[in-house]
Amino acid sequence: MAQAMSGERPVGVSIVDDHPVVIDGVRAWLSTEPRLRVLATGDDPDLVLRAAPEADVILLDLRLRGRMVLDKLAELSADGRRVVVYSEHTDPATMLAALDAGATAFLAKHEGREHCVATVLAAASDRPYVPPALAGAMVGDPRPDRPALSDKEREALLLWFQSMSKASVARRMQISEHTVKQYVDRARIKYTRAGRPAATKAALLARAIEDGLIRPEEIGIYRSQASNDRPTP
Amino acid sequence: MSTDFSTTGRSANRLGANGLDTTGLGAAGLGATAPVRVPRPVPGTADPAAADGPAADVGRASDRGARIAAVAIALVWHLAIGLPAVLGAWSTLAAPTVVAAGWLAACAIGGYAAHRLLHGLPPPALPLAAALLAVDAAVFAAAGREQLFAAANWAWTGLAWFLVVVLWGRPIRWMIVLLAGHAAIALAALVGDGATAPADLTRYAMYVYGTSSLPVAVFTGAAVIATLARERAATATATLAVRAERDAAERAWADRRARLALVGGAAEQVLAELADGRADPGDPFVQRRCVLAATRLRRLIAESDDVPDPLLHELRAAADLAERNGLPIELIAIGTPPPLPVEVRRRLADPLAAALADATGWARLTVVAGPDEVAVSLVTPDGQGPGAADPPTTPADDDQVEHVHERDGEIRWTQTRWRRP
Repeated sequence: MAQAMSGERPVGVSIVDDHPVVIDGVRAWLSTEPRLRVLATGDDPDLVLRAAPEADVILLDLRLRGRMVLDKLAELSADGRRVVVYSEHTDPATMLAALDAGATAFLAKHEGREHCVATVLAAASDRPYVPPALAGAMVGDPRPDRPALSDKEREALLLWFQSMSKASVARRMQISEHTVKQYVDRARIKYTRAGRPAATKAALLARAIEDGLIRPEEIGIYRSQASNDRPTP
Repeated sequence: MSTDFSTTGRSANRLGANGLDTTGLGAAGLGATAPVRVPRPVPGTADPAAADGPAADVGRASDRGARIAAVAIALVWHLAIGLPAVLGAWSTLAAPTVVAAGWLAACAIGGYAAHRLLHGLPPPALPLAAALLAVDAAVFAAAGREQLFAAANWAWTGLAWFLVVVLWGRPIRWMIVLLAGHAAIALAALVGDGATAPADLTRYAMYVYGTSSLPVAVFTGAAVIATLARERAATATATLAVRAERDAAERAWADRRARLALVGGAAEQVLAELADGRADPGDPFVQRRCVLAATRLRRLIAESDDVPDPLLHELRAAADLAERNGLPIELIAIGTPPPLPVEVRRRLADPLAAALADATGWARLTVVAGPDEVAVSLVTPDGQGPGAADPPTTPADDDQVEHVHERDGEIRWTQTRWRRP
């Protein structure tokens, strides 16, 4: 799965939503990016999965026919499916619960085309992408067992949430845009510790270490779990 | 007091009458002070031990001395007069062991009642009184003809004092009824022992009168003193409540006046200039000043509202106004701000409200709050204007609230931030 981005093959995307108009809209967004191809759509995750088992990324509406499908999300993530949750439910608790369940990324429905394309592309290569709404949820996380973020990571998340402009955050923090992205992504990687184990979290973590975004010893739990031959908490 | 209050309300409106429509503000101010409530004194109840409130406390405190005296009289009399008499006349009593057992029983009942009383708890009056009367009857029966009027028949003189202790704080009629019962028992004993000669009956009357009058006097006196103390305390509480309410109203009025002065600074001048024709309503600069003044007014009105989350409420008020003026605005709040003093809230919200008045196109207003930090931010597109790229500036910083303003040609970004000192 990791070589999805390396070859010529475009990234296969499945869309699960119970509103055809949303599916059409998202499909239109994704079609502007030649590296992406929509393989299957529908309102039942199982049917969509059967229609296109080779899909690299699943865009999943968190609310299907009036029900929150966090359990389905956890199931898919445990199977190693890269799920990008996109939802109109942008209260911080829901976003953090989706991350805990193993979602590769969380996208608020109002966040628009650019974030949507960027999130799917990042997810396909097991790289984190933190849209502003998710940054807000992370920086305001009130849970006592939340991951310990450094001051710089918190500041980058806060300013990114507020301004939605990495250039402005970079200027304010007097660092490069690249470094801003690093702080934000590192914070996201620390969240792979929270919640239940999932293959997608392992993949995110492994890629982050490979990219030099984070050192294995910075994820305290990761090391102890690795010694048991289990890649993630 | 209510007269006072409406006067202050009127004068607040009068103050604002110099060209400003302050009815909204006046009403909001009034609404904010109306909930000021001071607990009213509770009228004293029949059972002072069960009553609550400061007046009852005072009543209980002043009653305590009298309780100690009553308990001391009863027990000292029982020990110093009753006991030696019983022991001295042991051989002449008809059934000395019954008299002594009664003495001990009375001692136990009195001791228990005294213990409860001195710890501020009313003794269970009726069971104890009934037990005392039973003891009374037994002692009278066991004393015998010879010792009937002697000190060895300790129930004659001692029992009434125990009744005082047991019935403490109850209505006086209970005392009278039980003393009547005591007298009836004594009369029955007289008849039983055949001591019905006129001289005996005269002695009987003297004894009943002599042994009852003093306990009744003590009992009544104590009740009257406690009631007086309670009433005095209730009056004092009521007076204090009135004064506190008046102080609260005066403070609220002063607050309102200060707020009006603030608004005056914002709106008065531009309105006066408009009225005089010195300012042109078509001038964008004048329009901006009006929007700014309106935003400020709206926020100050919201400031005096009594809501659980005042900062968010104030920001929402500013956002509402901007939205009504046709600006699409997104307000996202994460976390609950801790209770903040109005001055801090003002410093957090004012720069944002001012920036909002300038906004065109769209606006994103965010609040991220934790127990020790609150960050408020407004981002709007950076339109045309001089200095298309201001570096971050930090005007009017202080140790608690930081204010940063920045524009880069694409966005204008105003941020205020409070950190717990």
